[in-house]
Order: sequence, then structure tokens, then C-alpha cells
Amino acid sequence: MTTSFADQLRALSDEALGALIRVRPDLVVPVPSDLSALAVRAQSRGSVARCLDALDEFTLQVLDAARLTRSAETALTSVDAILALAADGPADEVRSAVDRLRDRFLLAGAPDALQVVGAVDEVTSPYPAGLGRPADFLDPRAAALCADRAKLRRTVLSAPPGARAVLDRLAAGPPVGALNGTAAMAEPVRWLVDNHILVPISDAGRAPRPDGELVELPREVGMLLRRDTGPLGPLRPAPPTPDGPARDPKAVDSAGAGQAMEAVRTTEVLLEALAAEPAPVLKTGGLGVRDLKRLARASGVDESSAALFLEVAYAAGLLGEAEAGGSARAVTVSRASGGLDEIFLPTGAYDLWRALSVARRWHALAVAWLAMTRQPGLVGQRDERDRPINALSPEAERGGAPQARREALHALAGLPAGTAPPVTAVLELLSWQAPRRARGREAAHRDALAGAATLGATALNALTSYARLLTADRSEAEADPLGAETSETSDAIRALDSLLPAPVDHVLVQADLSVVVPGPPEPELAAELEVVAEPESAGGASVHRVTTASVRRALDVGYSAGDLHALFRRRSRTPVPQALTYLIDDAARKHGGLRAGSAGGYLRSDDEALLAEVMADKRLSVLALRRLAPTVLVSPYQVSRLLGALRDAGFAPVAEDAGGAAVLSRPKVRRAPSRTPVSARVDHSGPPMLAGPRLAGVVEQIRRGDVATRAARRAPITVRAANGQPGPGLTAVQAHGQAMAVLQQAVREKARVWVGYVDSHGSTLSRLVRPVSLSAGFLRAEDERTETLHTFALHRITAAVPEE
Amino acid sequence: MSGGPLIVQSDKTLLLEVDHPDAQACRMAIAPFAELERSPEHVHTYRLTPLGLWNARAAGHDAEGVVDSLIKFSRYPVPHALLVDVADTMDRYGRLQLANDPNHGLVLRGLDKIVLLEVSKSKKLAGMLGARLDDETIAVHASERGRLKQALLKLGWPAEDLAGYVDGEAHPIELAEDGWHLRSYQQEAVDGFWAGGSGVVVLPCGAGKTLVGAAAMATAKATTLILVTNTVAGRQWKRELVARTSLTEDEIGEYSGERKEIRPVTIATYQVLTSRRGGAFTHLDLFGARDWGLVIYDEVHLLPAPIFRFTADLQARRRLGLTATLVREDGREGDVFSLIGPKRYDAPWKDIEAQGWIAPAECIEVRVTLTDAERMSYAVTEAEERYRVAATARTKLPVVRALVARHPDEQVLVIGGYIDQLHQLGEYLDAPIVQGSTTNSERERLFDAFRSGEVKTLVISKVGNFSIDLPEAAVAIQVSGTFGSRQEEAQRLGRVLRPKADGRQAHFYTVVSRDTIDTEYAAHRQRFLAEQGYAYTIVDADDVLGPSLPQID
Repeated sequence: MTTSFADQLRALSDEALGALIRVRPDLVVPVPSDLSALAVRAQSRGSVARCLDALDEFTLQVLDAARLTRSAETALTSVDAILALAADGPADEVRSAVDRLRDRFLLAGAPDALQVVGAVDEVTSPYPAGLGRPADFLDPRAAALCADRAKLRRTVLSAPPGARAVLDRLAAGPPVGALNGTAAMAEPVRWLVDNHILVPISDAGRAPRPDGELVELPREVGMLLRRDTGPLGPLRPAPPTPDGPARDPKAVDSAGAGQAMEAVRTTEVLLEALAAEPAPVLKTGGLGVRDLKRLARASGVDESSAALFLEVAYAAGLLGEAEAGGSARAVTVSRASGGLDEIFLPTGAYDLWRALSVARRWHALAVAWLAMTRQPGLVGQRDERDRPINALSPEAERGGAPQARREALHALAGLPAGTAPPVTAVLELLSWQAPRRARGREAAHRDALAGAATLGATALNALTSYARLLTADRSEAEADPLGAETSETSDAIRALDSLLPAPVDHVLVQADLSVVVPGPPEPELAAELEVVAEPESAGGASVHRVTTASVRRALDVGYSAGDLHALFRRRSRTPVPQALTYLIDDAARKHGGLRAGSAGGYLRSDDEALLAEVMADKRLSVLALRRLAPTVLVSPYQVSRLLGALRDAGFAPVAEDAGGAAVLSRPKVRRAPSRTPVSARVDHSGPPMLAGPRLAGVVEQIRRGDVATRAARRAPITVRAANGQPGPGLTAVQAHGQAMAVLQQAVREKARVWVGYVDSHGSTLSRLVRPVSLSAGFLRAEDERTETLHTFALHRITAAVPEE
Repeated sequence: MSGGPLIVQSDKTLLLEVDHPDAQACRMAIAPFAELERSPEHVHTYRLTPLGLWNARAAGHDAEGVVDSLIKFSRYPVPHALLVDVADTMDRYGRLQLANDPNHGLVLRGLDKIVLLEVSKSKKLAGMLGARLDDETIAVHASERGRLKQALLKLGWPAEDLAGYVDGEAHPIELAEDGWHLRSYQQEAVDGFWAGGSGVVVLPCGAGKTLVGAAAMATAKATTLILVTNTVAGRQWKRELVARTSLTEDEIGEYSGERKEIRPVTIATYQVLTSRRGGAFTHLDLFGARDWGLVIYDEVHLLPAPIFRFTADLQARRRLGLTATLVREDGREGDVFSLIGPKRYDAPWKDIEAQGWIAPAECIEVRVTLTDAERMSYAVTEAEERYRVAATARTKLPVVRALVARHPDEQVLVIGGYIDQLHQLGEYLDAPIVQGSTTNSERERLFDAFRSGEVKTLVISKVGNFSIDLPEAAVAIQVSGTFGSRQEEAQRLGRVLRPKADGRQAHFYTVVSRDTIDTEYAAHRQRFLAEQGYAYTIVDADDVLGPSLPQID
């Protein structure tokens, strides 16, 4: 068979072969060695599947018709048979669909002996057009029923309503259903099976299904039930026309241009916010949820839009990772290695991008969006492991995203300008154009349409004129493998440019100190305003406010008050309000009122003339002295150098410490560490020899200690007794009076006395002291043993006895 | 790109270029849904807020119309996302309705089942909703009408209140229009209020809010409870009502700290209503004392929080809020919207002034240079005392006297915030002082003397900020204030904005100390007036004093 297929190819003219390669370009990648190899490849599953993916719904239906009409013996069909089966469709359309299939070598052979390429059955549904297998293939009893057309019709018509519903569902395809075990469902199916309208099939080689038996609707029954729609189901030879209100293309462009400006502005605000406070790269890659929230808040858009703009900025190379605190890493490096200490930062390209016109900036974003293999709509959803998908993370990567975007925009571009179909209509159109591809891509298409609206490529559900040019640009670029198309000449930029407001060079200044720029500012004006005013509101126009802080900032970067007045006079279309003039003058007057600087040392003197002399001294010019005040000079050099130079020049300076006190220093003479001379070494053979006063001191110390110990031992009985109770024959008052008398006597004679007293803890003590004074309720007395002065409260003294 | 007067910003502010030929038409088109935020001389700023859009929706405007006027007048392309947002926001109003069901009383009806389901699941509404009657209706306890509206507004699904109002106890009230007529804008305000049922009328000080109240009473012809800020304001209401309506003195009661009268028309002060004994509000019975047909709130922007709570229980009665500004320093504009009602009338000050009802005012800031000694003492003052030191500098005294001397034939108010300074001024200018400790009768006497021209200059403290009607005051000199309060500035300007018998110009002076925090606060206060379109002129004190500087003591 392969040989014959290769022979067929061999029989083709060069043009026909070229045409085949044009519609199936993958056949020549890589270029096959000969026509046999080409034939093999043309019949390979992969190539056939790719070819089928690009076919529209109607052509696939015609292919199904070809499969259905194959004769059981020869496996061949004919154009006539196909036409007969697809009789509900216009014959011309069916014929051209057959031609398309033959052009692609999905059908091969002569018109009356067409052969369906084998791989088609392998890569498509086993049920062509949603019809089951023929009855005689399934079950002889069902085959018998189907053979008798009249009986079959009667049986189907007599089906109870529940059974009829089951039939209708299976007839619409797919023709196989599973009994899910519930009684309500089982009953009608049981009826159908008993009447041989449904045939139970067992899945060979598979485990019994938990949800019950499978049943199949034989092809004949299905075709009978499809009497109204035709055996192939509803045929749509032409694409569905999406219905939607027709918008004024101008209104669409206007709303789109507004959104495009907004997209550019928001991207800028997001990146500025990121530059001001860089967000860390998560370990798993991507931007944390909290950072995304913060950025969204800063730019005033919702999180999904913020995620889209960040993804686009990343794809456009405006955003990249850098090592925290280190240098920026190349943006092209794979993000999979997202490390610990990495942060997201705007790249150098961002600065270049910012200098472009709004239309060019938008173009850069739009081109990046079209090409990026990311699906931003996934951000915020959860992946299969139920973890949230972060912006810029590997989980949002989808290889098919650019293709989905192209398809969606092309679908819109194929409609007349201003047509505003709802999203569902676009999705339906896409699913007609390439049903095999659109299956499972609905989310990507929705995401593409949402992204287009957010970026301003579409507005009011219709494609804008400049986005139409952009998609055209892209398709040309595809046709031109050398990439000759350059963004500088893009029509899309020109079209958008003409829609955007022209930059303005003037402002309106108002008495509440707000400055309104009634349009997008010229770059020069924008730079000026950035310095002198705080932004308050942005959009088509921008509102800024002049504050004390902003004026001070302007003064800091070198504007003078006069410059600022001139700036506002030049830029303002309206008279400059007095309040602004005053604000600038006030701020300028205060600006620089305090000066800060650093110096290595200073010279001060109350004698201005002396300082003048120092300043005038040529020998000291090396010190680079500067006069701060009549009495203060500063120098960048350290104090020691100042002192040295001044002394050399014959002055008599004195150093000061931080508190202003003079620091006196004697000239230091250098010496080695002290050593003990040999002569001083003591002969350690015996105890040290003591002599003179030292010896007398030792003796006195020993004696005094001895006296004290003995004295303590000899505290008179009267004192000790008085501590417990009053002395014999005396009341407490009398004892106290006697003690006072003794003490007064002792003070006069400077004699030593034993004093008994109660201390603050309530314990009784006695002490031998020499009273010094007795006044104000206190006794002051000297303890010779410890050489301290004690103070006793008189009311605590219980007894006093002169030393014997 | 049309050359329209309007620029739509992405933060939902609208900039209207006033000098554009289409500006007036544009203003008319956007006024119903955008709130005027600032109106300086060249570019007015409006803001699209959910509240404003819902106000418009309540008044019958639809999203399509709003979007159309934005696109029609916009100079530049309007971002698609903003248009979508406007439509979405407006769509939220009225999905839920409060209505009277003949069988079940007050019900919450959802025109959108999903929204009703969403809000009924919300924890914030727990306890307010009763039984679910069917898919689209949930019973509501009548007592929760106000709180439910508050909560729904917070959820972003404001309910349309179609439950109607009770008529209240009828009482004949007529306007006595002898020799005067309701001004056109006052009539519009009353009509707007009556058509809406309940709501707030925004008019500047001196534009005759009292008359709007009186006219509303004459329309309602029912017993009325009037809530005012203080006793003096209450007596002015009474005087005005006796003069302008068929009501007699006996029909009007005063419910204040001094007197507790309940009459067909009762004027109560916020203070007495919010006074508590032992933690409980003791005068709440007033709300139930009669079957009130109308409740008027004077100076809504000052309405104390407890009154909001009482108002939540008064939802079946017609409520009229009167104020010069909806800006509340506590940010409870949403409560005003849901409990008193949407804004029913608003007119920019400058427009009313152009109609001649408010005296045009000249605002002048006089900058005084402090003496070196004062500067030194200011420099070393603790941060919290700085404003007092700067604001009460004695250097201001001769300047104030010079200003008073400039207007020998006019009635001058000198307004200050510090009692010591007021006493100094009183002595220095030889003028009587009205302050917090002045008794009500003494105040009345002084105000009467001022009105009659017997007293030419009056020194008043913060008590003069609100609701004192001194129509003949043509000059106000402000020497110190409550730091940077914008509201206070507006109120004080309001003192001199009353229409003068001969249409003279009013003068509003602010004396500030140069290079001190006083200047900063003054700048902050004035921003509000500059935003209202009053340009400030700044002059130097030396120019006021003339060539020779007088020596101070």
C-alpha cells in the first residue's frame, strides 16, 4: 500500500508536490531523502494529526463521511458516496472539502477509488461523526433488527420517553454510554437492550468498569435517529458569524487608545513601585502573593491585571531578576534557578523603553504579549496540587499561549471592523475553525481575549484598528523568515500614534497650588514637573501639586527661586497665582539656612586679629584653612597636623577636646619598658628584714588589735546586763538618764565609754567608743578599733559605762 | 479625538476645563453622577465614586447615559477599563430593594437571585434578615431597616428603599411669603428632597439652609423634629421659623440643656440627645415623644456618631439633612448616604455667589514678621506648644487693630482660638468678647447689639464657628484656629458670606506669623477655600500698618 502511495506521489507534477508541501510544511522538516520517505512521513501519525488539527469543522465532517462510506471489503470509497452521505450540505462545498482532503493526501487515489490514509483512523475518534459501529459488527440480533427498516422504525417509535431520551443523547454522539447503576437510568436502557436497539459491549482487556456496563448505539439506528439533521449531524459549511452589536470603529479605537495609554502608564507605575521596593524572587520562582497585592494597590489595578502587566513587562525584557544587593543578572538566564537572594527589578531596557513615545512603548508591550509563552490568567488560580500559581512563576508557563493569542486575534481580525462579538461567540468561531485544536484550549483563548482587552488591543469587545495592523504585521513576519520587518516602520505604531493625544508643553497653575497638565506632557516638561511637584492624579492629563517639600527638592537639585518663577511663568498658560510665588520665595528663603559640612579640625580664637594673621600666613596655606566665622577657621587636616604646622610657624596653639577643655600634652620621650635592676633583687634566703617606722607600724597594728579583742571580751557586766533588763535597782528611765550623764561626761573628758544599744534589727550590741558629740538626739562617737565614726540614736542607747 | 472640555483620569477623577466653551454643558451633563471635589479657578475636579454613581442611579440615570456623556465631552480617549467599571458599579445599585409586602411587611427583594443569595450568606447581615419567603424575597425586621441599608452599602450592594414613609402627625405649616420669596435654588432643593423622600441638601453657609428646612416643613405639613448643633443655633431656627412661617412661638418647643419642651415643632440640640447618665442615653424618648412626620438634621457633617444609631431606627420617617459640606472629618459619608439619604441637591459656592445670594468675599492672608525676641522664644518652644506660641504672638495685635481701622463703617468679627489672646485683643481693641464661658443670655445680648450696630467689633472664640447668624458681619479677622482644620475655615468664612443689605464686599483676613507652623496650618486651611475657587491674596503686615511701624509696649 505504501508503495502505491509513494507511486501516487511520484506521479504528481512538481507544482502539485509543491502545493502538498505548502499545506503540510512539516513534511519537509527535515527534508526527506526521497519520495518514499516523504510518503511514509505523510502517513505517519504525527504528521496526519498535525494536518487534521488545522482543518475546520466542515472538512473534518466530510472526512468522517469518507470514513463511513468505505466499503467493508475494499476499504475504498468514492466522491459520489461521500456526496450521497453528506447530501444535507451543499454539493459544491462538499466537493471542495474533498479536494482539500485530497490536496493534503488524507484521501488518496482516484475519485472513484478513494482511500483514507490509515493513520487517520488511529488519531481520530473510533466513532466517525459520532456514529457507532455497524450492527452486524456488534450483534447478530441487532443486525437482524436493523435489516428490517420498517420494524426498526416501529421499535424506535414505540420506545418509552425515558428510553427515547437515552437514544437521543447517544445519537448526538458519542454513541457509547455507560450504565451508571441508578434504577431510574437502568430501566429505559434495559428496555433498549432487550429490544436490541442498544448493544452491550464489553471492553476487551479492561477491568470491569465500576459504573456498570457499556452500551453502544449501532450505526444504522443512529442514522435513523438523525433523520432531521442528516447522518453526519448538523453541517456548517461556512463559519458561524458571531453576532454582536456593531460598534463605531472610531469609538472602538478611542476606547482602545485610552486603554493602551492606561496599559503603558500602569506598567510604568508597577515597575516604578518595584524599583522603589524590590520584591524577592520566591524559592520556587515567581512573585509572592503579598508583593503582587502591594504592587496592584500601588498601581490602582486589580491583581489579575497587575499580573498580566508584570508578565508582559518580563517578556518584554523590562523586568528582570537581580541578586539582592548585587549586580543585575542577565534577563535571558532561565528563571528555573530562582535562588534565595534574588529580587525583581526593572532592567536597563526599562529606561530605554521609558524614553520612547507612548505608541512605541505600547507596541513593545503588545509584541511581547503576543509572543510570550505564558498564560497570565492562571495567576491566582490553583495548580493540580492545589497550590496557588504565582505571577512570573514557572507554573504559569504554557507553550501554546502564543498560538492561542494569534488564533483569537485572527478570529477577530477576520470580522468586519467594529464587530463586537461576545467572548462566547468568538470561542464558537474558534472551535469551528479548528475543532481539534480548540478542544481544551478554551481557557487559553479566554485568557487571550481578556489580555487583549486589558492591553487595549480590543475595546468594547471589538478589535482596534491598530491591533488589526499588529496582527497583520505578525503574520507577515511569519511569512518572512528573515525577520525583515522592523518595529520602526510598523503601521500599528503609526495608527496608534494618530489616536493618542498630542503631547502638550504647557500647564495650568491654580491657586490651590495644583498644576494641571492638560494632556500627556512632553518629556522635558515631565522631567521638570517630576522635580518641582508631587504627582496627584494621572491618566489622559496629569495633576501635580506644588508643596514646600517639592520646592525644596527643586532647590536641592540646583534650581534657584528665580529659575522656578521663570519655569512656572514660561510653562503656565494662566497667571501664576500669588500663593505659589510666596511658597517658592518662602521655601527659597529658608533653603540653605543651615549648612552642614565636615572638617578635620578647627581653629578658634577670641582674637579675630590673630586668626586673620593665621589666614594671612603663607607658610600655613598648606593647611587649606577656611574662615567660617570671624572667630572660627576650619581645615580638612587633623588636629595634630594643625598644631605641628602652627607651632612651626611660631604660633602657640592649644588643643581642645570635644567639651572645649584644653588638652595638655608634654612631649613624650621614648623609653623601653622598665626592668628590675639586679642590685635590687632581694636575697630570699630568709624572712624580710624590717626596720624603723615600718616595724613600729606593724607593732602598733598588732597591739591595737589585741586591745580591741580584749576590750570586747571585757565589756562590763553592767552594759551587758542593761541590754537584757534595767540595771539592778534602776527603772528603765533612770538607767537611760544615767547613761546620758555618763556620755556627757565622756564627751567633755574625751574618755572611752562602753555603749550598749539596740540596732535597727532589734538585736542588742555593745561597743567601746570615744564620744565626740551629743546633740539633736544623736550620739556621734569614734570607734578607735575600726577608725570609723558612728552615729547612735539616743533612744536606742540602753546603757553607757566608762571604760575602766 | 474631540476637543472636549473634560479629561477623564484613570483614578476616576474628571478634570473640567472651566474656560472651554462647552464647559457649562459638560458640567450639567456630569453633575448628576460626579461629585465636585475642587473648583479652583481654571480646572474643576470631579470624582466618580460608587456613592456618586449610586446617587445618580437612584435619580434615574443609567450607565449607558453616564458612559455616553463621558465619551462625548472627553478630550482624550477614555480607558476601556474605566467605562466597564462605571457600568459595573452602577449596575450594583437597585439589584436589591427594600419594599413593603402586603403580607409580610418589610422585605428585601432581590431582582438578581444570586446577589440576594450572596448577601444573605454574609456574616455582616447576620440577625437582620428574617425568614426566606421565596427565591427572591427575604423578610426583614422593620427595626433593622437602617442597619440593613448600612450593611448592604458596605457590602457594595446598596438597596433601593421603596418601603415608603409614614406621614406622621399632621400639623398645618405654611410659608409666610410677605415681601420675600423662596429663592429659585432653595425651591429646587426642596423639590429635589421631596421627590426623593429623604436625603441631604448641600448649600453653602449663608445660602439660606434654614429656609430650605422651613419650606420642607411647609411641604410636609407635619410635626417636625429639628436637630441642631447648639442652643444659640436652635434659637435662631426658632426666630427664623416664627418670622418666615405661619408657626407661632407657642408651637415651637426648645429641647436643650436648659428647657425640655415638646411641641409640634421641637428643636433639640445634639448635645442634649447625646448626653448620658450612668452610661445610658437619657433623652432618647424624644424620638418617640410624638409621631414626627419630618426630622431635620442641621449641619449633617457634624452629626455625632450616637445620632446615627438613633437615626437607624427612624427609617420610616422623612429625613432632611442640611449641610455646607458632605466632607466629614471622620469619613462617615457612607452612613449619611444610607441612613439619612442620598444627596438631593448640591450647588457650587461660586455659582450661588454669582447669583448674588452670598456676599462675594475677598480673602487676604496678612503675614506678620515676628520680632527677634518672639522668634527666639518660638524657636525653643516644645513641639506641642509651637502653634500656640506662633498663633498668639503679640505682634499680631497692632495688625489686627490696623485691619479694624481699615473698615471703620463695617461690622467686624475677630475670631481666635486661644482665650488669653482673645482677652488681649478685647482689651487692645476695646471690644466685648464671646467665649465658651459666656452665658447664653449674655451671648444673645451681645449678638443683638452687634446686629443692631451698637457694637461694631466683636471678639469671638471657637463658639462662633457654627450656626451663629450674624448677617451684618462684613469683615472677619482670624487670628488663630484649631490647627489646620479645613472645616473651621469654611465655617468662619461662612460668617461673613451672608448677603449684605447693600451688596457690599465681604473681607476675610487671616493674620499669620511668617516662617512658623502658623503659616503651614494656614496654608492647609486655605487649600479648601482655594479649591472652592477663592483665591487668596497674601500681603505683608507692614503694608497694612503703613510706613511707620508702631512700637509694641
